[in-house]
Amino acid sequence: MPPELSVVLAAVALPFVAAVSTPVLYRLLGERTGYAGVAVALASFLLLASQRGTEGTVGLEWIPSLDVALRFYLDGWGLLFAMLACGIGTLIFLYSPAYMHGEPHLARFYTALLAFMGSIVGVALAADLIAIFLFWELTSLCSFVLIGHYTADDSSQYASRMAMFITVGGGLFLLVGLLLLSVVAGDVVGPDAAFNLAAMLETPEAMAEGLRERGLFLPVLALLAIGAGTKSAQVPLHFWLPNAMAAPTPVSAFLHSATMVKVGVYFIGRMRPILVGEEWLFLFATLGLTTMTVCAVMAVAATDIKELLAYSTASHLGLMVAGFGFTSIYGAETGVFHLLNHALFKATLFLVAGIVAHEAGTRNIDNLGGLRHDLPVTAIITVVVALSMAGIPPFNGFYSKELLFEAAVEASHYHDIGVLGWLYPAVAVFGSVFTVLYSLRFLSLFFGDRPDALGHVHRPSTTLVVAPGVLALLAAAVSIRPQLAVDVIVQSGVDATALEHHEMHVSLPTSYSPPVGMSAVTIAVGLAAYPFYDRIHDGLNAALAAAPPIAANWWYDAIVGGLTSGGARVGDYIHNGLLRTYATWTLLGTCGLALAGFVAAGTVASSELIGFDAAPAVALVLLVAVVAGLAVALSDSHIAGILTLSILGFMVAIFYILASAPDLALTQLVVETLVLVIFLLVIEEIPEYYEVSLGKYARDAVVSLAVGATAFITVLVTTDARPEGSTDIARVYAEQAVPEGGGTNIVNVTLVDFRGFDTMGELVVVAMAAISILTLIVMRSGGDDE
Amino acid sequence: MTTVVMRTTARVVVPIILVVSISLFVEGHNLPGGGFIGGVLTTTAFAVIYLAFGLDFLERGVLGRDVDPGKEPSRDRVVVAYRRLFEYGLAIAVLSGLAPLVFGQPFLTQTFVIFEHVPLYGEIELASALAFDFGVYCVVVGGLLTILSVVGAE
Repeated sequence: MPPELSVVLAAVALPFVAAVSTPVLYRLLGERTGYAGVAVALASFLLLASQRGTEGTVGLEWIPSLDVALRFYLDGWGLLFAMLACGIGTLIFLYSPAYMHGEPHLARFYTALLAFMGSIVGVALAADLIAIFLFWELTSLCSFVLIGHYTADDSSQYASRMAMFITVGGGLFLLVGLLLLSVVAGDVVGPDAAFNLAAMLETPEAMAEGLRERGLFLPVLALLAIGAGTKSAQVPLHFWLPNAMAAPTPVSAFLHSATMVKVGVYFIGRMRPILVGEEWLFLFATLGLTTMTVCAVMAVAATDIKELLAYSTASHLGLMVAGFGFTSIYGAETGVFHLLNHALFKATLFLVAGIVAHEAGTRNIDNLGGLRHDLPVTAIITVVVALSMAGIPPFNGFYSKELLFEAAVEASHYHDIGVLGWLYPAVAVFGSVFTVLYSLRFLSLFFGDRPDALGHVHRPSTTLVVAPGVLALLAAAVSIRPQLAVDVIVQSGVDATALEHHEMHVSLPTSYSPPVGMSAVTIAVGLAAYPFYDRIHDGLNAALAAAPPIAANWWYDAIVGGLTSGGARVGDYIHNGLLRTYATWTLLGTCGLALAGFVAAGTVASSELIGFDAAPAVALVLLVAVVAGLAVALSDSHIAGILTLSILGFMVAIFYILASAPDLALTQLVVETLVLVIFLLVIEEIPEYYEVSLGKYARDAVVSLAVGATAFITVLVTTDARPEGSTDIARVYAEQAVPEGGGTNIVNVTLVDFRGFDTMGELVVVAMAAISILTLIVMRSGGDDE
Repeated sequence: MTTVVMRTTARVVVPIILVVSISLFVEGHNLPGGGFIGGVLTTTAFAVIYLAFGLDFLERGVLGRDVDPGKEPSRDRVVVAYRRLFEYGLAIAVLSGLAPLVFGQPFLTQTFVIFEHVPLYGEIELASALAFDFGVYCVVVGGLLTILSVVGAE
């Protein structure tokens, strides 16, 4: 059954419409704007829920001539992700008004949060490569605003810049990958489907074959992996995610659990049918397992509860990526099921962390403990979700972790991967041990002795507890009846990401199998190592302090710092505040590029062009122009220079008349006059005479010679390249001007009828020039009164 | 440059330039001309006024308004008007491009109608591109005049 276009459009557009109207809503509702967000998110959720079970593409035309469309593809996988974003979004909006009580800039906060949710839904459902990229980058922009919510705070600024730098940078790799993909799709699927992801997904084998034939398989795979890896915080670019905890807690809960960081994982799942293969296994299984282990270890080293959760998020993202990396059916099951499970428990944990920080006034793990007396309901919630994160049976995280172990063991049965066949399962177990450790540590905030330093802990308001409570109930429901979740949504997601159909069954294991043994080892070692947690924690921190290059932040700071200072040094040289320097660099740069272009293209001007074959009138006009040019260089005052320069300009105008181009001549005449007038207005302000050193003279001579030579060569080459007679384009314009545009002036008809879009661009340029001159003049006098 | 010769010439020439620029704009679709050239020519007329009579002449002599001596050039009422002109011009151009969407045509589609038997003219052609061209004209006039008067005031 195909989906309803209007319903899908409404679900995607509703958050954006609400985001635009947030300033008005905020004026009406004040801090209760969050509840309007609840309504919007819930509405989107219900709209999407009504499309459950449908599959197919719907869309609006966008740029039909390039076959770019606002196309949406609904299947189980996209729907699962979009519904997660909306569902958890609903709870986040419910939680925010109480948590953000009294904070500044709430209107901006809700605007960004709504747009963020809308763009995630957009990425999940879009089936057009261009639309995917746009929504993808929109998530980065919104997260930039959200992470940097406390604009005055240095760490917020640092974190939001880092997130932007990494994710938007990764997005550029993705863009190149998508473009390469579209080139191949244009050949394989058909020119109408160059950007149509849904059409590519219908013939995944042909696409893979086409990519391999053109030698583009590995480049596309690598580029998409970089894009997805940066978004989903895979090693070695995982560090932006823990820094992103500078955002307000509702944002962290949303960002880290259901949305942006999972977009990468989502996309890996989306592309899986097309690109899966041995390279895919090596790349993503290795990347995912490395991320999972490194970040789990880093989470144990964390001292702040949000930092612990953030590293744990990166670690679980690694788990999902590794799951999708394994080519067997268990791999797809791991990725899809863990995406759901992780969203349920991690959103809850962040909301719990928010409650703890809000009510206890600290986020430092060492200062917290025994909170079960103060926050009994929160403690119960935490028990469910922390044990789920640890992967302890029968909680829901256990089932998807079992699937990962299964997939890791199965990997060596499908492919001949040598030593990796036992290394993958071993690493998975090793990383999971740390998962158990930090999960127990988080849980211990509520148990044990209450530190004396901890002051009075308030009871959280009901709205703060409702959201995590609902999520914990859902997690508990999945824990008790995992098969129910599978039947409702997970199975259809697996079908969309896996190569073959497979009935998925999840239940508690009743007999021994390798994954059961691995789980037992993981939990036993984790429990046994827990008493030594503080020693492990201190040891890790000592190692990090002893060798800063281990921490990824160090690399980021070094690279960004180096680029900044290097850029400043280059800037001082090229950009030193003297107009002459700018002109020199701009002109020489342009000449260099133009000449390099000719050389690279192997263009040679034919020697026939050099010769004197001009009508006497034309020759005379051009001769006058040359003389005027010489006079400009020799004139001893500015006024004389300008006047002689306009002689040159008027000669060019006359040349246009002789060459029967009246429009061009008219324009040249009028513009020349206007420029002359403007020059005369300005010239009085310019000093009469400069003291110029010989070196500057030499430099200027070289620059002017280079520019002149380049212009000369360009004219030679381009006039030589002109085809004999009129081209097709010229003929079409000449023939169609009267019937199509109703004008006999071809130039004007071309400008306004045939190429109106270009003219529009030029208009914007004129307007921008005027605005920038205004700005320059206002800024010079300080511009503070603006 | 405010000599008597200059002023007298300006008095004669400016109206001619303005009329020519308008005719260039109107018949641009069929003869050499169009919004861009018409706009630049109109600006030239203003430039001649500036040269002959000074920058404040428009405010004081034509519009009869007092000029604040200490005021920044960009805050002049005339400059604000110029700025508005190119803003509106851009809006006209974009809106005229959006109008075809209402009729289910692609962005910036143009069409034309010919009215027969009009008194005096006989036959008049009205092209929708004229609206777009008018936007071009406004942007060029507004933008160039903004530049001219701001730079000139320096």
